[in-house]
Amino acid sequence: MESENFTMSVVLRNRYGTLMRVTSLFSKRGYNINTLSVAPLAENNDYSRIILTSNGDKCVKEQIQRQLEKLVDVCEAKII
Amino acid sequence: MQISGAEIVIQTFLSHGIKDIFGYPGGCVLNIYDEIYKAGDRINHILTCHEQGAAHAADGYARATGKTGVVIATSGPGATNLVTGIATAYLDSTPLVAITGNVNSALIGKDSFQEVDISGITMPITKYNYIVKDVEELEETLCEAFRIARSGRKGPVLVDIPKDVQVASCEWHGSIPLPLFPLPEVSQSDIEEAVKLIKSAKRPFIYAGGGVVSAEAESALERFATLIDAPAGFSMMGLSAMDYRNPKKLGMTGMHGVYAASIAQSEADLIIGVGVRFSDRATGNIRKYTENVKIIHIDIDRAEIGKNVTVDIGIVGDIGETLTALSDTLQAENFSQHLPQWEERVKFLKAAQKRLFDDTADRERDILPTRIIQMLREYTEDDTPIATDVGQHQMWTAMNYDFAAHRTFITSGGLGTMGFGLGAAIGASVSRDGKRTVLVTGDGGFHMNLNELATAVTYKIPVVIVIMNNGVLGLVRQWQRQFYGERFSHTTLHRATDYVKLAEAFGAEGFTVQNETELKTAFDKAFNTDGPVVIDCHIDPDAKVLPMIPPGGSIEDLILR
Ligand SMILES: Cc1ncc(C[n+]2csc(CCOP(=O)(O)OP(=O)(O)O)c2C)c(N)n1
Ligand SMILES: [Mg+2]
Repeated sequence: MESENFTMSVVLRNRYGTLMRVTSLFSKRGYNINTLSVAPLAENNDYSRIILTSNGDKCVKEQIQRQLEKLVDVCEAKII
Repeated sequence: MQISGAEIVIQTFLSHGIKDIFGYPGGCVLNIYDEIYKAGDRINHILTCHEQGAAHAADGYARATGKTGVVIATSGPGATNLVTGIATAYLDSTPLVAITGNVNSALIGKDSFQEVDISGITMPITKYNYIVKDVEELEETLCEAFRIARSGRKGPVLVDIPKDVQVASCEWHGSIPLPLFPLPEVSQSDIEEAVKLIKSAKRPFIYAGGGVVSAEAESALERFATLIDAPAGFSMMGLSAMDYRNPKKLGMTGMHGVYAASIAQSEADLIIGVGVRFSDRATGNIRKYTENVKIIHIDIDRAEIGKNVTVDIGIVGDIGETLTALSDTLQAENFSQHLPQWEERVKFLKAAQKRLFDDTADRERDILPTRIIQMLREYTEDDTPIATDVGQHQMWTAMNYDFAAHRTFITSGGLGTMGFGLGAAIGASVSRDGKRTVLVTGDGGFHMNLNELATAVTYKIPVVIVIMNNGVLGLVRQWQRQFYGERFSHTTLHRATDYVKLAEAFGAEGFTVQNETELKTAFDKAFNTDGPVVIDCHIDPDAKVLPMIPPGGSIEDLILR
C-alpha cells in the first residue's frame, strides 16, 4: 500500500501528561509525527486541540486514529 | 465527612467490593498501611516477598475469577518492582489497579530519596495512570481508576499518591462506584454481512482467544460453534473457553499449536477470530495465513480490527452479545449447518494427531512431560486453576491439559513472563477462597521468583508446584538446536539446587520424582496437603515441544520431529 501524508485533529482533555500520552503512542507503535501543534480550545480551556501531520499507508492511518480514540483523554481524533 | 487521603483509598476499596489486596509496605505508603491495619477485619492483605510477586498475584487473582486485582507498593524501588507485573497484565488485558505511594508533592522532581516517576515509567504499559496532587481529587480518581480497569477491553491502571496527599483530609462522598463505560453497539448490518459469509463457508474454523474468557462468553461460543458446525482452535489465552469434552474443540493453534488445530486452520475457507489479536506467535507468516481464506474478526477493541491481519468483516462489540446476535440471526433464518466432508477431514486430522504424538517411552525409566500433564489431570478438578511459567513446560501444559472450565488457565501469554507463575497461582487460590491450585513451572522460571514459596507457606496456600526439571532453559535451547546449529549458549543451568531441601527450608514439603510410580505417590500426598508442595520431576533435557511452526513460517514449515 502507498504511503501518504495526512493531517489529524485530536481534541483531548487537558490533564497531567496528555501530550506525552499522545506522543508516546506514536513512538510505541512506530508511527511518525512530522509536525505537531497544540492549543487550548477557545470555547473551553479544559480541552486542547492537537493538529499533527504524519505519514503512512491506509492501514497505518486507520490504526493511528483507532489507537488515539482509545486513549482515555481523547474525545475526538479525525483525519482532516 | 472529612477523612484522610489514606482512608479514602481503603474506603474506595471497600465500596468497590475489594476484599483481598496484595502488597508490600514502605515509607511512602505508611499511611495507607495504617488504614489497612484499622480495616483488618474487612480487608485481607497478603504480604508477598517481592512487589513483582504481589503484582503477579493480583493479576492471577483477577484472571481466576474476573474480579479486579489490587496491588500496593511504596515509592521508588517498590514501584519499579511492579513494572513487569503491570506489563504482564497489560499484554493479557487483565483488570488491575496498582496503588503506589510517592514522596511528598514538594519533593517531586528533586531526585528525592526513593523518588521515581512511576506514572511516566508505566505510561505505555497501563490503560491509564494518574499522579494525584490534591487530596480533593483522590476519591474521584480512584473511582475512575476502577472504572477504567474494567470497562471495555480490561487492563491495568496505576494511581500514584504522594505521601502528603495520603495525610491531607477532605470531604468524602462515599466513593460510589462509577458505571462502566458503555460498550460499542453491535452493528446489525455487520452481523448480516458476517452471516452471509458463514452461510457460504464450506470449511469454517473458529479461532477463539482470551477475549472470550474476559467477556465470559463461553456458552455463547459453544452455541455458535454447534450451530455453524465449525471446529474451534484457540490461542493460548483462550484455551479454557471451551470444555475439552466438546468434540468441536481441537486445542491450541499457532507456533506450538496442536497438529489437528493447526492443519484444520490452514485448510479453512473461513476463519472466525473471536477475541483474539492474531498475534505473530499465533499466525506465523501473515501473507500465507491470510491466503485463500476469508476472515471475520470479532473483538471489543476497535483498534484490533485490521491491526495485524486484513479482515473481510470486523465486528466491534461485546463478544457474548455479538456471538449471540450471530446465532440468533442464523436461527431466525432457519439455518442449520452440517458439513460432513469437513467433519470427516477434522476427524482424520485428530486421529493422525493421536498416531503421531502418542507417547512411546519406557515408562519406568523416563517421565514424559506430556504424561506428567495427563497424570496431573487425574488429580485435578474441572475448575482447578492451572498456572504456569514460560517455556516448554507451559507449552506442554497448553497442548496436553484437558481444560474444562472457564478461567482455569492462568498463564502469561502476551508478555511471556518467566517468574509469573508462583505469584499468579497464589493470587488464583486467594480469589477462589483458598482453592487448591496447581503451578506447572520450569527449573529456570521457578528460580526467578521462588521466594514467593515463603508467601504460600505463611498463608497456607494449597498450591501444588510441579517443576519440570530438565536442567536447561528448555524452550530457548530448543531454538538453539533448531535454528542455531546446536550452539547451546548459556541455556544449561548447572544449578545445584536441592528442591526438597529448598521446600523444607521454606517450611513446605518437597518430593523428587524420577518415574511415573514416584510421581503418583507424590501427587497422592500433594493433593492431600494443606499448604504448598514442591514436586521436582526429572525429565529429559532434550525433550522437545512438537509440533512447531518456526517463527514467520506457515503450515508448510511444520516441524513434526
Ligand atoms: C523474564 C524472562 N526472561 C527471559 C525469557 C526468555 N525465555 C523464554 S522461555 C525460556 C526458558 C525457560 O526455561 P525453564 O523455566 O527452565 O522452562 P523450560 O523451557 O525448560 O520448560 C526463556 C529464558 C522470558 N520469557 N522471560
Ligand atoms: Mg527448564
